Amino acid sequence: MSGARYPGYDVLAKRHTPSWNEKTRRVIDQRLALPREPRFLDAAEWQTLEAVAARVVPQPPDRPPVPIAAMIDDKLKEDRRDGYRDARLPPLREAWRRGLAALDAEARQRFRVPFHSIDSAEQDALLEAAQGGRLAHPAWGGMRCGLFFAKRLLLDIVTAYYGHPTAWSEIGFGGPASPRGYVRMEFDRRDPWEAVEDKPHAG
Amino acid sequence: MMRRLPLLAIAGMVGLGAFAAARMRRPQRIARRPQPRAKRFGPVALSATVARDVDRSAALLALLALADSGLEHYRGSFHNRVMYVPLGVAATTMVACLRDAASGSRRTQRSAAVPGLAITTGIVGTGFHIYNIAKRPGGISWLNLFYAAPLGAPAALSLAGLLDGTARLLRRDRHAFAGAPLARLLAGIVAAGLVGSSAEAGLLHFRGAYHNPAMVIPVIVPPAAAFLLARAAMCRRGRHAPARWMLLSLAAIGLAGTGFHAYGVQRNMGGWRNLSQNLLNGPPLPAPPAFTALAIAGLAALRLIETGA
Repeated sequence: MSGARYPGYDVLAKRHTPSWNEKTRRVIDQRLALPREPRFLDAAEWQTLEAVAARVVPQPPDRPPVPIAAMIDDKLKEDRRDGYRDARLPPLREAWRRGLAALDAEARQRFRVPFHSIDSAEQDALLEAAQGGRLAHPAWGGMRCGLFFAKRLLLDIVTAYYGHPTAWSEIGFGGPASPRGYVRMEFDRRDPWEAVEDKPHAG
Repeated sequence: MMRRLPLLAIAGMVGLGAFAAARMRRPQRIARRPQPRAKRFGPVALSATVARDVDRSAALLALLALADSGLEHYRGSFHNRVMYVPLGVAATTMVACLRDAASGSRRTQRSAAVPGLAITTGIVGTGFHIYNIAKRPGGISWLNLFYAAPLGAPAALSLAGLLDGTARLLRRDRHAFAGAPLARLLAGIVAAGLVGSSAEAGLLHFRGAYHNPAMVIPVIVPPAAAFLLARAAMCRRGRHAPARWMLLSLAAIGLAGTGFHAYGVQRNMGGWRNLSQNLLNGPPLPAPPAFTALAIAGLAALRLIETGA
């Protein structure tokens, strides 16, 4: 990756080191083997989700993207809930179904095309309106769009992205540390099995 | 099976310690005997055998300092170039002491440079470690005493140097240094070393919350041995069985301690297979045998005291 902050660092290279145990390898393999097509969402919802994720976490074109939509679809298929939720929002599956349908309906109402067909500036404008709580299409079904944006959409997209080894390598994150953790704990020190930063970056 | 291994290791080390200690006692037993062997083991021959044991003790201490500083300074990524120095000095001291111990000759041509270097490095190293503790946020605090550079560690190199210096004097048939009898001087060095090492073990075992009852042993036995040795040095001639037994036990305890520490490494997540973390993060393997090294020197001092040499 050009201009990478941690050049040459690939968290997956730790696979056969003491940093990973069998359980770690199994979990990561599962995550990397997710199918790239919807298994819970329908085709329209999937396209909307892919378009939304691309606006929230734009990805560089020179590497395979983190399959955010596939990861969220898997979470929905397994109905893996967080264990907590804002009571004003419906449960996981219902919130996503309704939210994606509503964003698509908003786009169709304004531009007469589905969400994934409008250009990125228009998508941004719609998402900003959702974040600001300014969308009121009947498709929202009483669900507050601002809440959905902050507590469902952002949460799931960002956690999916940063739950993927590609993102770990990008930000120099050590990834799983079991059984081996870290020894050199002081500021500005690193263990040999940690990512090497290219050069000090300002700010 | 894995759970039994450490116990086997401990048992093996205790046996080894007892064997080594039994071997060490032999010349002393002979020296106490009257004619005709006394001719072969007169005061001169005695100081040569004692010097050999003191050299061995110094060599072991230097080896431990080499292993400990190597491991811990590697952990510190040799952040400061000076951190290489104790490795070189400890290796030099160890080789010099081993050569002296092996040569068997009473006199050494070697200058005082090596022991002087070791003593100085230990003192300067202590200064560096105090600086390392003090510069951290919180300065001199329990947290930094626990986790920053260990305060007492560099002193092991000074101890090795002091013992090496004493062995040199013994080989030259000197019986006093600066007005003090060598036997008392040696006993004093050993007693001080034991109290210091014990304090270090006490601090770090306190950090470990004494989770294993055996962790109190190196806090209790070394000061007791130091006390008995110091008392023997004040009384001079005659047998000092309690001091001898305490020092013999201490020699075994030092070796057993490494077994315990090896078990401690195994108890960490991933055990020995995760040694790139656990060897650094677990209890230090080279620490406990310092008691064995000091016990060897203490027994040598006791032999000098008992024969009135």
